[in-house]
Amino acid sequence: MGIQVQFRKEAAELLSSGAVKLVIGYGEGSTPERRRPVFVRTPAETERLVLDGACVANLSTYLISEGLLSDGKNVAVFLKPDGIRSINILAAEAQLNPEQVVIFGFDIENGEARPLAGRKASDFTQVVEAAKAAGLSPELQKEAERLDHISAAERFEYWKEQFSKCIKCYACRQVCPMCYCRRCIVDVNQPQWINTSSHTLGNFEWNIVRAFHLAGRCVACGGCDRSCPVNIPLRLINHRMAKEVLDAFDYYAGESTDQKPVLATFRQDDPETFIL
Amino acid sequence: MTRILLKNKLDECIAAWRSAGFSVLAPVKRNDLSRFEEVERSADMALDLQITERTIKDHFFPQTEPLLRYTIKKHDLDSQEMLPPDIRRVFFGVRPCDASGLAIDDPLFGWDYKDQYWFKRRDNAVIVTIACTTSDDFCMCTSVKLAPDSTKGSDVMLRPLQNGTGWQVEALSDRGTALLDSVSSILQESSETPAPPASVPVKFDVDKAMEWLADPANFESHFWKEISLRCIGCGSCTFLCPTCHCFDIQDEGDTYTGIRRKNWDSCSFTMFTMHTSGHNPRNTQSTRWRQRIMHKFNYYRGKFGVNSCSGCGRCTRQCPVDMGITETLQAISNLQG
Amino acid sequence: MSEPFEPKIVAFVCTYCTYAGADLAGTSRMKYASNVRIVRLPCTGRISPMFILKALQKGADGVLVSGCHPGDCHFAQGNYHARRRWTVFRALLAFTGIPEQRIRFSWISAAEGAKFAELINSLTEDIRKLGPFEQYHELQTVIETQSTY
Repeated sequence: MGIQVQFRKEAAELLSSGAVKLVIGYGEGSTPERRRPVFVRTPAETERLVLDGACVANLSTYLISEGLLSDGKNVAVFLKPDGIRSINILAAEAQLNPEQVVIFGFDIENGEARPLAGRKASDFTQVVEAAKAAGLSPELQKEAERLDHISAAERFEYWKEQFSKCIKCYACRQVCPMCYCRRCIVDVNQPQWINTSSHTLGNFEWNIVRAFHLAGRCVACGGCDRSCPVNIPLRLINHRMAKEVLDAFDYYAGESTDQKPVLATFRQDDPETFIL
Repeated sequence: MTRILLKNKLDECIAAWRSAGFSVLAPVKRNDLSRFEEVERSADMALDLQITERTIKDHFFPQTEPLLRYTIKKHDLDSQEMLPPDIRRVFFGVRPCDASGLAIDDPLFGWDYKDQYWFKRRDNAVIVTIACTTSDDFCMCTSVKLAPDSTKGSDVMLRPLQNGTGWQVEALSDRGTALLDSVSSILQESSETPAPPASVPVKFDVDKAMEWLADPANFESHFWKEISLRCIGCGSCTFLCPTCHCFDIQDEGDTYTGIRRKNWDSCSFTMFTMHTSGHNPRNTQSTRWRQRIMHKFNYYRGKFGVNSCSGCGRCTRQCPVDMGITETLQAISNLQG
Repeated sequence: MSEPFEPKIVAFVCTYCTYAGADLAGTSRMKYASNVRIVRLPCTGRISPMFILKALQKGADGVLVSGCHPGDCHFAQGNYHARRRWTVFRALLAFTGIPEQRIRFSWISAAEGAKFAELINSLTEDIRKLGPFEQYHELQTVIETQSTY
C-alpha cells in the first residue's frame, strides 16, 4: 500500500472515530508541480490528501493559529522530521500541548515520500537523533564559510545588496512556525526599536532581529527561503546561527519536548573567549 | 508598411534616449531577482523573461518614500516637503498587464487629491510595452478582460516580429509619438508581420464573480473562511501586485526631528485597519482576504468604473501557500453557476 | 589640518559592577577618553540586542557591553544568560559584516576602576584606527535622499 493511500485511510479512521477534529495535510496545487496545504474535517474529504516528494512545506505553522488547539481537541498533521522538531520546540516553549498533535510522519528520499513510524512527537526521538547525527546542511555550510572568509566590509556589502531587495512583506515571519509572537517587535511602536519602513537600514535591522530570534530555534525547514518573493538567502543566515549554537553550546534545536530553549538556559562553563 | 525597431538597433535607441536626457529602465535579472532597473545597453536587459518578479509600480509608488522632513521647536514646527526628483524616464519592455496597472491606479491617485508623488513620476515617464507572445500557467489577463497585447496604460506598443529580429512599433499617445520621433532615423519601414499574441486561456467568468460579490447576502458567506483557511497573512500578493495601492504614514526620527514617510501597507496584515482602541473591524484572515477581493472586484469598480486587477498572476505565482485571485474568482464564478 | 576623528562609543553597563567600576575610576581621578556615553542598566541580563542595533542606527561607531564577572551577578544568573546571548548575537553581527572590533564585551567589577579606564582608552584608540562606521551610517543617509528602491 502506498504511503498516500495508507495516510488517507488512517486519517479517515481518526476523523470518523472522533480522535481528531482536523487533519492538516497536502493537496494538489494550481499546477502539477505544486502542493498546497489542505484542511480535512470529514472522512470523505481525505480523498483530497496527496503525499509525494513535492510535499516540502512545514505545516506545523498552522498549529499555532489562534484558538485552533484551545478547545483541547486533537489535530493531525503531516510532518517531515523538520516539522516534528518544530513541534518539539513549540511544546518546549509552551505554545502547544504535544498530546493534542497527532503526527503523520514522513520523510522524502530520492524524491519519494516514505512513512516514519510513530504518532506522537515523543515517538520520533530516533528520527530527530538521526537528523542531528547527519549534521547541518553541507551546502549551506560551504556558502557560510565562503562569507566567513571574505572581509567584514565585503560581507556587509553582500548582505546590504540582499536586504535591499526586501519589501517587508513578512512572508518569512508568517510562514515560520517559530514566529508566533502575537505582536512582532517590528510592529511595536512604543518604543520603536527598529525602523518599520522598508528602506535598506530598516530591512537590515529587521532581518538581523529575526535571525537572532531564530537562533537555536530554527529547524532549517527552508520555509522562509522558499516563500521570500525577492529571493533573499534567508536559510543561510539561519544556518549560520544554528552552527553557532551547535559549536558553542552543543545545542541542536527541537530534540525533545522538554529541551530548554538555548537562550533561556546556561552552563557556568559556557565559552567566553571574546569577553575582555 | 509599418515602422519597426530591429533588436540590433536597440543600443542606438537607448543611447539616443539617454543623450536626450532620459533614464532608460528595463527588466534586469540581477542578484537573483528580476525587476526594472536603469540600463545603459541592451545586453543588460532580460527581455526574454515572461514577467519580472517585481512590478513597475515600484518606480511610481515606492515601498517607502520620504514625504517631508520636520523639526519640532519650542513654539513652532518646521516642515519641508521632500518631492521626488525630476527625472524623465523611459520604461522599456513593460508587460501589458503592468502598464495597465498604472492606468488602473491613475484615478485613485488623482481622485480627490492629486498625489504629486505619483503624478510627478507618471508625467515624466514614457511606457514602452512589449506585447506578450508567450504566457505561463499563472497569466490571467484575458480573465479580467485585458489581453496579452492590450494597449492600456502604454505610450508605445511593440509587437514582436514573426521572424524574431525586432518589433513592430506603434505610438499610442503624444508622449509616445515624441519618443519615437526622437529616434525616427533608427526605425525602419518594413512589411514584416508581427507574431500573434499569446493565447491566454480565460480562467474564470469575471462578470459572474462580480455579480456574486455585489450581492450583500454573500458578504458573510462561509465561503470566505473556507477559501482563506491556508492564508498565512503575509503581504507577498499585495506587494507584488501592479495595482495594490494601500499605504501607511509613518514618522521616523526622534523626539524633535524626523522624516514622515509613506510606506506600503497590506490588507493581509493583522495590523491593517487596526484602531488605536485595539478594535479591528477586520480581525480575521478571512475578512482581510474578503477585503482584498471585494476591493479589487467591487468597491474599486464602484468608484472608478474599473476592476483593480490587471491579470498578471503574480499573487498566485509567488504565494507561499498557492492561493491567489485566480483560485478565488474561479471558485466564486462556479458558485454563481 | 583636519581634526582627528573622535569616535562615538556607547557603553551599556550593569549598575552593580561596571557602573560602580566607572564610578571608582572617576572618584580615583583616573582620566579616560571622553568618547564613551554610558547607559546604566540593572543587569547585563537586561541588555537587549535591540540596544546595540539602536546605538548603531543612531550613529555609534562602537559599542561596549559590560557587567559583573561570572559568579558575581547581583541577580545570581543574569550575566550567564547575557553571555549566551552575546555569543550568538556577536556571531550574527559578524556574519552580516558588522566588524567584531566595533562591538566589545567585558567583565568589570566594582573594584576595577583602573581596568575600566584602560579599556575605554584602548577601545577608543582601536575604533579611532578603524575610523567612522561609514558603511552603516551611509544606510541612514540614504534613507533621507533615496525615494525609489
